[in-house]
Amino acid sequence: MALSGIQIYKLLPQTNCKECGFPTCLAFAMKLAAKQVELGSCPYVSDASKKQLAESAAPPIRLITLKAGTEVKAGNEVVMFRHEKTFYNKPGLFVRVKASDPELAAKAAKADAYKVNYVGMDFTVDGFAVEADGGDFVGAVKAVRNMTRRPLILIADDAALLDSALSLLAGESALIYAANSSNYEALADVAKKYKAALVLKADSFDAFADLTQKVQAKGVEDMVLDLGGKNLGEWLARSTQARRLAIKANQRALGYPTIFFAGQSGPEKEAVYAAQAIAKYAGFVVLDTFTPELAYALLVLRENIYTDPQKPIQVQPGIYEINSPNADSPVLVTTNFSITYFSVANEVEGSGLPAWLVVTDAEGMSVLTAWAAGKFDAERIAKAIKGFDVASKINKKRIVLPGHVAVLSGELEEELAGWEIRVGPREAVDLPAFMKQVLN
Amino acid sequence: MQHTISFTHNEKQSSVSVPTGTMLSDAAHLAGVEIGQPCGGQGRCGRCAVLVTGGNVRRRSTLRLSPADVEQGYALACQSVVEGDVVINVPPQEKIERRLTTDRVVAEVTVPLDYDFDQHQSIHRVYLELTPPTMEDQTDDWARLQTVLRTQANIPEVICSLHLLQTLGKTLRDGEWRVTVVVDSDMEFPEKPVRLIEVFPGRVDDYSPLWGCAIDIGTTTVSLWLVDLVSGHVRAQVAEYNGQIARGEDVISRIIYSGKAGGEQEMRQLVLDTINDLLETACKRVKARPEDVMKATIAGNSTMMHLLLGIPAGSIRLSPFITAVNHPPVMLAKEVGINIHHEGAVDCLPGVASYVGADITAGVLSSGLEHAEHVTLFIDVGTNGEIVLGNRDWLVTCACSAGPAFEGAGVVNGMRATQGAIEEVWINGETFEPTYRVIGGGKPKGICGSGLISLLAEAFLTGVIDKAGNVNLMAGSSRVREGSHGGEYVIVRGAESESGEDIVITRVDIDNLLRAKAAIYAGFSILADTVGVPLEMADRVLVGGSFGKYINVEKAVQIGLLPDMEWSRFEFLGNTSVKGAYAALLDWRMRDRITEIAKRMTYVELSADNSFYDAFTSALFLPHTDMSRFPSVAEALSSKVEGRTSD
Amino acid sequence: MPIEIPKDKWPGSIKKVTLGGTSAEGGTRAKSVTVGGETTLPYLHFEAPTPNKPLIAIEIKSHKPDDWSPLLAEIWGDAMNDPARWAQKAEEAGADLIVLALTLADSPDDAVKVVKSVLGATGLPLIVWGPGQAEKDNDLLVPVAEATKGEKLMLGICEDKNYRTIVAAAMANGHVIQARTPMDVNLAKQLNILITDMGLPADRIMMDPTTGALGYGIEYGYSVMERLRLAALQGDAMTQLPMIVTPGFEAWKAKESKVGEGVPEAWGDWKARAIHWETLTAIALVESGADIIVLRHPESVKRVKDTIEELVTV
Repeated sequence: MALSGIQIYKLLPQTNCKECGFPTCLAFAMKLAAKQVELGSCPYVSDASKKQLAESAAPPIRLITLKAGTEVKAGNEVVMFRHEKTFYNKPGLFVRVKASDPELAAKAAKADAYKVNYVGMDFTVDGFAVEADGGDFVGAVKAVRNMTRRPLILIADDAALLDSALSLLAGESALIYAANSSNYEALADVAKKYKAALVLKADSFDAFADLTQKVQAKGVEDMVLDLGGKNLGEWLARSTQARRLAIKANQRALGYPTIFFAGQSGPEKEAVYAAQAIAKYAGFVVLDTFTPELAYALLVLRENIYTDPQKPIQVQPGIYEINSPNADSPVLVTTNFSITYFSVANEVEGSGLPAWLVVTDAEGMSVLTAWAAGKFDAERIAKAIKGFDVASKINKKRIVLPGHVAVLSGELEEELAGWEIRVGPREAVDLPAFMKQVLN
Repeated sequence: MQHTISFTHNEKQSSVSVPTGTMLSDAAHLAGVEIGQPCGGQGRCGRCAVLVTGGNVRRRSTLRLSPADVEQGYALACQSVVEGDVVINVPPQEKIERRLTTDRVVAEVTVPLDYDFDQHQSIHRVYLELTPPTMEDQTDDWARLQTVLRTQANIPEVICSLHLLQTLGKTLRDGEWRVTVVVDSDMEFPEKPVRLIEVFPGRVDDYSPLWGCAIDIGTTTVSLWLVDLVSGHVRAQVAEYNGQIARGEDVISRIIYSGKAGGEQEMRQLVLDTINDLLETACKRVKARPEDVMKATIAGNSTMMHLLLGIPAGSIRLSPFITAVNHPPVMLAKEVGINIHHEGAVDCLPGVASYVGADITAGVLSSGLEHAEHVTLFIDVGTNGEIVLGNRDWLVTCACSAGPAFEGAGVVNGMRATQGAIEEVWINGETFEPTYRVIGGGKPKGICGSGLISLLAEAFLTGVIDKAGNVNLMAGSSRVREGSHGGEYVIVRGAESESGEDIVITRVDIDNLLRAKAAIYAGFSILADTVGVPLEMADRVLVGGSFGKYINVEKAVQIGLLPDMEWSRFEFLGNTSVKGAYAALLDWRMRDRITEIAKRMTYVELSADNSFYDAFTSALFLPHTDMSRFPSVAEALSSKVEGRTSD
Repeated sequence: MPIEIPKDKWPGSIKKVTLGGTSAEGGTRAKSVTVGGETTLPYLHFEAPTPNKPLIAIEIKSHKPDDWSPLLAEIWGDAMNDPARWAQKAEEAGADLIVLALTLADSPDDAVKVVKSVLGATGLPLIVWGPGQAEKDNDLLVPVAEATKGEKLMLGICEDKNYRTIVAAAMANGHVIQARTPMDVNLAKQLNILITDMGLPADRIMMDPTTGALGYGIEYGYSVMERLRLAALQGDAMTQLPMIVTPGFEAWKAKESKVGEGVPEAWGDWKARAIHWETLTAIALVESGADIIVLRHPESVKRVKDTIEELVTV
């Protein structure tokens, strides 16, 4: 269990020596509780305390890293709900190709080349799952490996076959799918030999716990669980249970990430299956269908769910249209803190008056906070006005500043030559009246 | 069945016969005895308390009375039902107000019990008799003075200013070689030379005052205490709005303003003017002159300290929020620009961080928090609400931007807690008519911090505003109306106010107050969460701030400014910052302790993640979105509803 | 190794809200529908079954909207010019309820008329939204509420600024309120408190927490809903209300759904993408506890209904 700042403080020397770089032991303890520093920074902590603190800090779900030319990680999660802290490692999206498929290379190539940009970030799929379904498995693995630098999942239950395939992947960390209670010994040996991670299948948590311990005894530490389940509802239940067992019951034997096959009920349902897996704790998601529109939607969902919720809630900077503004509508300026944006947008929207709302990048702070921190100053506002090409949308070069930053109007006049700078009300609630009475 | 009720009021007797079940207040009315019921007979204000000296009544509610009061026989006339013959004594109103359990009057300032001028004060006054020079004894004046300081006052080494040397010869001769000197010694470092501040001709009476002043520079209010260092007594207390207000209400505006051309100099001059005016006023009261004041000890937040000293404050505002100096060295008054004796020392107390300044270290000292055995919460409600949680083992602190509303600024009809300020308000729950109390008793000029707290609580409990602070325009009273900033409530009509204008509270004022109280409450909850100590664990809650001379804890809880705990756990300390400065001014040991406190405190940055915002929105409601945190308010609200249906 | 599955036992549960007045209640609906009643986090059957499965509403407007995606115009065709027919087509597409959004062009008389005609065209329970401006909402919703007493409509959209008038109208005429707040747990709870303080029972309120769309802030809506549901189960009465969400409105605002040209090639096929956008937005909200899901496209309706069916089937 995670310890609070005060609990950790009691385990520290309480000398306020400052050698850790913090002014007091309590400040250091609070940073430790927030996992923002390492205990190693304290030169005087006792061995007993060290042990106790290390135990409380161990991650309940093992971190699994698949590695080839690129890397994908799963595990190390600490919460059931993203708002409690954050979800850390985005589930890897893998595309399944079958050894018997003559189009295998082309299919993999298309998915491998896929790249899409979302708010300035480039997203791709994370890797491929090659399935031994009767064709030339080793040849297929070779073909895929020649095609992509991304990590692979090898789907086969024949240890010898896996051995030959893995011998082609020297220096990589692949994922083997899948061992069960009858074949785990042979597969664990191969996994150990090639430092691969191993997926386990079992039909109950009791059986999973037995199996993880046995595989561990064979010298394999990196495991992934396939929880099975006949439909969405059952998989949701199992996934929730697995996460709870690891995080809340501290069940180390079940503290591994999971894998989910989204195409199991056919292509019609694949998007929805994958979406649930992304939201509900999967460590790896395997797709049977690859289309750009599906990949894009899933990659965006994954990014959204795994965004750190502790960061201030922001809206996208830009110019927003309210009540269908035209070239004579006023231009209002505010920051990109979501609540600020909402209160301004809602007041104006509710009034029925058309307006352009310029939302500047103030790093998600409210008008006053951003101004206080220097993130909402004349320079930044001018940059937004120019950057969003506001002038092209309107006839009269005029902007309205929030009343709280009336002091900026002088500087803004210098930054935005030729523009009229008006100071609006301090409170959003007064905007409609201001727009009616003052701006016309 | 009829019962006889006998009243004694203003030494007059009257009686009336009423049936069983009559409310005592109604019986009084029938008997021609008027008992004030500012809250409209809802048992909220406690102003109708009477003493039952014979017989018995059934008390429906004793909300505002302590168990001891009930034991003595007190009952609320509006909440007590006649069930037999009774004898009632109606006490004078002032007496009632003094005994209400929820009002916390600022603790009196007392001289520390063990204060010893000779031992604890760094300023000393010594009478010296010099041997006049002769043709044989050709020692110069300064060496002659140094010698007697060594032989008669045990001061081995002394330094002095050019100005003193320029006048020394005349003073010695005017006093016929008998002089009284005032020196400043550093008690902590006795090896350091003592500094000569002034030489007076002749003998100055040992018991005549020797003046020092303690100053708190608040963002909104500057307070100054004039202290007789000999006896330790505070002889004058004065306060005024900080002259910098015109250049911005909060520290950030001030910092930004000071960054403009000439801004730094202007800000410095504005606060110096405020301080020097206060000094003048205080000195007049005790018939002294500013130059008679030998030392000034100053507390204030870090920004105020920088602006006073003309040190650029820009880095306080921008990440990573570093001050130029947390602990300024002792300086001379003439350098700083304060009009006390030009050789007098100005001692600026040490702070912890950009947003936790000397005001709070001084506050911790004067509140006694650093010695507390149990977890204690200390809040200094100012423009920045500073909060400290801790005990003798650990201290954590944070600052939240509350704005100046609780000091009466930034509110349409707000004012400082001085003559003419409304300091408490009751609203009749049926008619929405207000009753109020004005400091000094004259016509009201405006509302001070405690008045605003009281007004907000009453407006909320009576339904004048809803829990989100929206003025209920459907309330059906002419006191509630649509103003230029949305709904507003009229507390005083123009005919009754000093200025002839209505005194109102507007929707925007209410928002400001809500934000201020929400910021402070959010500060508590986050601070408690950060260290993992539940807020309820706090054994005592110490409240500092410039609301007025008292705060009604119940109302502060009702609006969700203070956590809901037994009233007995609250102590209202008034301006803890100036008190801390006073303690440091008097006693060098206290001065050292403030330095120690500054080293021990751990600062928590509230804006580091989303949790503050969450706690803030949650607190942006009356009393709070999570009603389970305010059980006593929930109870008061439900009894109000019951009261309505039973009527 | 025997493993005990941890089960949560919650002190609180979600209130049930019933919409649609049948003839027995003085209305004309063919049947009423009930949502809410959950005692666990969504679809955790090992703790308790889902008592009332989430329902799908299809959004129609009193006048053909000129700002909707061409994909929607194509699928609904001419019916968009006739709210009554549009409602019938929506019912055929599988809607459990109809949302009728009034517009600024409607007069109070128009509003009453169009509501009546939709009520006449379908037996499904009806949700009526004002045009979204406080004053105009009050102008239209009050006469609608009075003219439909007994129908047990849900009236929206009630926000902290305009709650008094709409709530009073709902209270007097037996309707339900849709209470919208901007993506914040505390604000949602505060509005519920304000509304119940007026005397409307909590089982006549549904929360609309505002969700954002996939790629446009859905993570906030998602977490706000999870937090509201958790608070409700923990026993916080003012969060124990079922939730209505509008992924159709949210997703079809997004460029990804709305337009087919001038977008990156990596976005893929327009129509398939648009349906994914609406569906995945809806699914994320279903997973976090939505009780009524308001959609726009019949294909999304089908997919979301299938998904819900799978989730509630043990």
